[in-house]
Amino acid sequence: MNPKLDQMRAVALTAITALLTAGTALGATVAAKPSGPTIRLFPTTVIEDLRLTSTVAQEMETGLQEVIGRLDQQQQLYTESKCEGAEDDPGCQRMAKALGATYLEMLGIMEERLPDMEHTVNNTRLSLEKRLRSELGNKMTPWMLQETLLGNGPEGAPTPAPKLRGRSGMRLSERFKQYYQLVSTSGSRSDQSLAVLAADVYLDMEETSLLIARTREEIARATLMEQLNQSFGIVTPEMMEVVGGVKSILFGETGSDIQIAGPPPGQIQQAYRSPLEN
Amino acid sequence: MNIRQTIVQLAGPATVIAIGVILASCATTPPPCNGPTTTNLNAAIDQVQTSLANGCEAEFDRYFDDLLTIAEGDPKPENKRAFSEFLVWSNDQGLLSRRQAERYYNRYFNVKFMALEGDFNNCSHTCPRRDKVYRDMERELNAKERGLLKVSLDNDGYYRANELYQEVELVLEATCTACAAK
Repeated sequence: MNPKLDQMRAVALTAITALLTAGTALGATVAAKPSGPTIRLFPTTVIEDLRLTSTVAQEMETGLQEVIGRLDQQQQLYTESKCEGAEDDPGCQRMAKALGATYLEMLGIMEERLPDMEHTVNNTRLSLEKRLRSELGNKMTPWMLQETLLGNGPEGAPTPAPKLRGRSGMRLSERFKQYYQLVSTSGSRSDQSLAVLAADVYLDMEETSLLIARTREEIARATLMEQLNQSFGIVTPEMMEVVGGVKSILFGETGSDIQIAGPPPGQIQQAYRSPLEN
Repeated sequence: MNIRQTIVQLAGPATVIAIGVILASCATTPPPCNGPTTTNLNAAIDQVQTSLANGCEAEFDRYFDDLLTIAEGDPKPENKRAFSEFLVWSNDQGLLSRRQAERYYNRYFNVKFMALEGDFNNCSHTCPRRDKVYRDMERELNAKERGLLKVSLDNDGYYRANELYQEVELVLEATCTACAAK
């Protein structure tokens, strides 16, 4: 096992995991405005933080797009020149070094952009944390929370689609943009969907924040290792795997919302309401 | 002769005592408290009501379970009403308090979770014991599967309860993380 490769793999996988884990699919739903007290989970500051995070993520993607394109070309050239298995060939060694240098450039961009990402993600996380603690943690009993989630709408009113956490595969900036759009129109949304949305965004930020910090540490180590490796001029399959992974996550397909199975088919019945019902 | 007289003298009171014991034991023998013997829910409820009114109150849980099993054999939306009326009757008869009757009904036939009852805020009360809350909710979801889905064919109700369970888990996870970060 080559420790250099391990380091490189670790960086990339951590970066990918950070981005993947942060991927959250949210189904935009329109729900009726409920009666009862309104909970304030998304004040202007949180909305602004989300908008900023989306912008910073977009900047990181733009920066990476060009260097990843170049990596693709270099890799193609390396493969077409049949360099795999001919590592001692001086021409192949030059190509491998160039590839390694571009890889380093990619790591450099990530290193440069991640602090900004970390900062904005943390701001959003802290604002939401305060709101969740105050509005759902201190002002509500579990029963009130349940009633908020169920909504106090009229009998038989359609319930919003479930919004579950998971990998969306969408671009980082797209996801934050979607968050922003969802919460910036929160005036027309019901409390029950806002509570779920706030919880979802907060947990997403919590994980993203943690993983960005870990990724930054790994990038520093991997950069050092790749700098040392430059003298050997080796292209590793792991390196290509990493680039492929980052590419598919950052520029992957959008809108791949998780499909939730519907209820089993059954007859529509008249709702019976017991006098014992709470 | 003396021995015979002695035996006769002793046998008299012994017989009286024996008969007395037998009579006394007859008076205190508990009723058999058999479960319902029919597959018709309404008839089964009648049988259970008779048993409950005749000293089998301690078997309430078992009877309720028997009735659910019978209703599962003939699921329909009207079963909800039958169970509600049975529980209201149980309350009227003093077998259950109003609160107990509500708990029985809501545990099986309502979307809301009785496991989320509580008068204190989430940060102080729910978060420290949220694992237990989730376990209780999971058990209650199984009860709702039986009551809403298998007994009453209320697919939408059960689906909403299942969804609510997941939403509560997500929102509590976030809220409790926020509470702990204070």
